[in-house]
Amino acid sequence: MVSAEPGPAWADDVKACCAAAYGTDAVALLLGTAYHPGGLALTRRLAGALSLAPGQRVLDVAAGPGATARLLALEHEVLVDGVDLGEHTVLSAREATVRAGLAERVAFRVGDAEQLPVTDAGYDALVCECALCTFPDKTVAAAEFARALRPGGRVGITDVTVAPEGLPAELAGITGWVACIADARPSADYEQLLVDAGLRPLRRERHDTAIARMVDEIEARIGMFEMTAPERLAAAGVDAEAVRGYLVAARRAVEAGTIGYTLLVAEKPAA
Amino acid sequence: MAPRQHDRDEVFVEYTKSVCPVCKVVVDAQVNIRDNKVYLRKRCREHGWFEALVYGDAQTYTESARFNKPGTLPLSFQTEVKDGCPSDCGLCPEHKQHACLGIIEVNTGCNLDCPICFADSGHQPDGYSITHSQCEHMLDTFVEAEGEPEVVMFSGGEPTIHKHILDFVDLAQQRPIKVVNLNTNGIRLASDRRFVRALGERNGRNGTSVNVYLQFDGFDRDTHLEIRGRDLRDHKRRALDNCAEEGVTVTLVAAIECGLNEHEVGDIVRFGVEHPAVRSVSFQPVTHSGRHVAFDPLTRLTNSDVIELVNAQCPDWFRPGDFVPVPCCFPTCRSISYLLVDRKPHRTDVVPIPRLVNIDDHLDYVSNRVMPDPALRSALEKLWSASAFMGTPATMESLETAAAAAECEACGIELPESAKELGERAFMIVVQDFQDPYTLNVKQLMKCCVEEITPDGRIIPFCAYNSVGYREQVRSQMSGVSVADVVPNAHELADDTVESPYGSRVVADAAEAGDGGQRPVAADTTNVGRKAVQW
Repeated sequence: MVSAEPGPAWADDVKACCAAAYGTDAVALLLGTAYHPGGLALTRRLAGALSLAPGQRVLDVAAGPGATARLLALEHEVLVDGVDLGEHTVLSAREATVRAGLAERVAFRVGDAEQLPVTDAGYDALVCECALCTFPDKTVAAAEFARALRPGGRVGITDVTVAPEGLPAELAGITGWVACIADARPSADYEQLLVDAGLRPLRRERHDTAIARMVDEIEARIGMFEMTAPERLAAAGVDAEAVRGYLVAARRAVEAGTIGYTLLVAEKPAA
Repeated sequence: MAPRQHDRDEVFVEYTKSVCPVCKVVVDAQVNIRDNKVYLRKRCREHGWFEALVYGDAQTYTESARFNKPGTLPLSFQTEVKDGCPSDCGLCPEHKQHACLGIIEVNTGCNLDCPICFADSGHQPDGYSITHSQCEHMLDTFVEAEGEPEVVMFSGGEPTIHKHILDFVDLAQQRPIKVVNLNTNGIRLASDRRFVRALGERNGRNGTSVNVYLQFDGFDRDTHLEIRGRDLRDHKRRALDNCAEEGVTVTLVAAIECGLNEHEVGDIVRFGVEHPAVRSVSFQPVTHSGRHVAFDPLTRLTNSDVIELVNAQCPDWFRPGDFVPVPCCFPTCRSISYLLVDRKPHRTDVVPIPRLVNIDDHLDYVSNRVMPDPALRSALEKLWSASAFMGTPATMESLETAAAAAECEACGIELPESAKELGERAFMIVVQDFQDPYTLNVKQLMKCCVEEITPDGRIIPFCAYNSVGYREQVRSQMSGVSVADVVPNAHELADDTVESPYGSRVVADAAEAGDGGQRPVAADTTNVGRKAVQW
């Protein structure tokens, strides 16, 4: 086992690594366009816990290609601002939103979760899916979440969890996208981050099967590219058999409860 | 001390109707969940309480409700609403879905006398077989109802021993029917190469595909003896090889029974994936209608059990979530998965399509308001349907659309030329639990899309035909020989039933369960106190 605590030498690199990784071919190939476990079904569950009302404003932190932002706008009739660190990601999220005819209700901008480009108390709700684990300074990010919310507003988070003793050694050495989850925490720790930022926890759920399913999906994508475009895997530097080995280890860790997925909802106390 | 209240040990989830498995009177029924399993329970005023397991995983059962697609109206109905479901078949105007697949049983005779046969067929002198004009009438009934029907399945009895079976295939191909299926035990396919060639020549003619639906229950000698009464392993092998050589696409159809062949599902999938003639496997928990081995309704196999067996016996290939409920019928009746098969020199890998395309996002009809791609939804609806058959133009086209979407979702780039190739690599696995007189739930029956076409021009849901009394009614009318209501061979009914001339079970004293007895008039119109089907 290794410590889940990031070493200071690479803590600063994680954010850059993840921003880059989420833009790289390897990650795009392996994770597909639905970057977070649980898919739209878990997003719906999260949205359902936020007490959204038509016309409200929602901030999506690390919005990725924008599928969640568009779902919230369509199904809850809210106005959504998406923030993501990747410039290219923001551009493609905007394009997809224009195609969906939602550009007037959903906007995206480049921004850092630890320094959100938004005014104080401007949002009724905030979502952050599968991203908090990648933020090097989680305390600052949680404080930013609290700052962006109006009193009474809610934050909804889904994220990768790692047991207190940390990732199994067999997974610790993986670079790239798995490095992003190397700083995942137990769900109680995430909750404590929110509490420390002045938020009041309302709900904490386990959704470990969502991450098991994501492991299956990654395995399937590798299989498909081996059939259709092995040269793309090679060009992206993906060694299919090596990744399969890691997936076996990841699946084992999920079964053992070492790696999981959590859903958290907290509220900013009214005044 | 005051008496203490206790909670029930089950969650009551549905109130519905069913039939008494003994006398086939329509009765109220309830669906309950106990220990994460789903049970249907009912009471006949004459014969008491009955309960059967209907789904092995309550969570999947309840979650699959979101896959329930609005039904499509057929162009015509054949009967009127009079006494209500399931007595008005059919189809009556209250039926919720058109027919994805129509079955024409061409005979009752068979060259086998299997211990398990929902049709109660065999070497019998007093059955019937249909004529050319009857077949035409049945096909025309189907075309009138559907316009351009998706699939006709010729069944029996054993349809290949009907001397006009090829004429019947021709009659179907002369009509706007997209797929013709031949449901067979394969004995003739094993020995009569000319017959297989004749089927191969018809495959693709007039734009109609011809497929073989081959009874295939496993590889153990005991499996063959206990389910079919004969060791047919060599026949199956030769039938499959003949089909491969003559260009006939085959679906392996496995009846799975507790304690007999449930250990063989993994081997059947692996065999099918490797055999050049086979493009799909259909697993069916044994239907406890007609003739079957004695069973316990509380521990029977259901769809979720079969899916768990497949996952457990092919751990490298399947995981939970790879099978998706089918929206056209009631989603708990049928689940399907498609695999992309990659044959490598050292091993065969498969990629389940539901891991590449999030099917939920497209086939969730309850919570879904985001509609990203209507073309993809339409393709997935054609694939997750009782009318999907590998090798047919509609299915293959839909597979290409799904494969292209899978690639697009995976990397954001469309590769249309490889999507076609991916479609060709696809393999289908279907799990279908047909209802029997114990498990019958009219909620599912009313949306059934697999129908029996009768010689008198009715279209009757398959599970109603086998469970409610229509099969006995039609056989009686067609053969002129009186046929008693068949009663399931459940352990708990062993003392009340005797063997029928066809090997199934019937009540010991027909008068006791039939129409002879005095029945009080039921105020409740559900419990009208008479047989569901009268003739």
